[in-house]
Amino acid sequence: MTERRVTFTREQIAAYADASGDQNPIHLDDDFARSVGLPGVIAHGMLQMGILATVAAEEVGGPSRLRRISVRFAGMVEPGDTVTFTASRAADERLELTALNQKGEAVLTKSTTEIA
Amino acid sequence: MAAVAGRTYPAVRFEIEPERVAGFARAIGADPDDGVPPTFAAVYSLGVTALHLFGDEEAAVDFSRLLHAEQEFEWTRHPRVGETVVSRGRVASDISRRGMRFVSFETDTTDSKGAPVCRSRALFVIRS
Repeated sequence: MTERRVTFTREQIAAYADASGDQNPIHLDDDFARSVGLPGVIAHGMLQMGILATVAAEEVGGPSRLRRISVRFAGMVEPGDTVTFTASRAADERLELTALNQKGEAVLTKSTTEIA
Repeated sequence: MAAVAGRTYPAVRFEIEPERVAGFARAIGADPDDGVPPTFAAVYSLGVTALHLFGDEEAAVDFSRLLHAEQEFEWTRHPRVGETVVSRGRVASDISRRGMRFVSFETDTTDSKGAPVCRSRALFVIRS
């Protein structure tokens, strides 16, 4: 099993916004995020998926072996939240993927992948 | 709000520049020496084409009420650093139900010769 525990920070979320080009203010501006009903800034779902895919790639011996990955963004991740990402081998070459926050809630669900 | 299922958007060329890949890899905690991170497809496939959808006045997607609900990437092969890829987005479905609008947005990415590289499937939910 490969596991990575990440405590999200504003700096990391801002770095992902710069690197990905997704500058939606719900990830960068607390006042704006609150104005649309969020508790404050939240991490990009794609940042979470990127970390999960990195963990999955590590488990199978390299990113080139990933043929497909899909996730459902089920829970918000705020700065200060700690998410544990895991990838473990199941039968038939599939990977079991999990992403649980510090309360044990899944922030990514229905995560599936196919490996070359 | 107009349902725009079936709408297709123009092709976008994107050069996968090494600096951009390295910055992306660092941001997700991947090793920049491992090549293009799989989910860099969020940039070269989904990202460059979703801008068409968000900028489409007839589609009228309210970006501030948009949630990215699901995402899938499927690769025929992973692109290489330095390669130029071409992506085309389309609205696969656009359904409104109980005050929520569900837009399924698909992107096909090929290499510069037209051979398939990646397909992205995003589900966006827009709250009303």
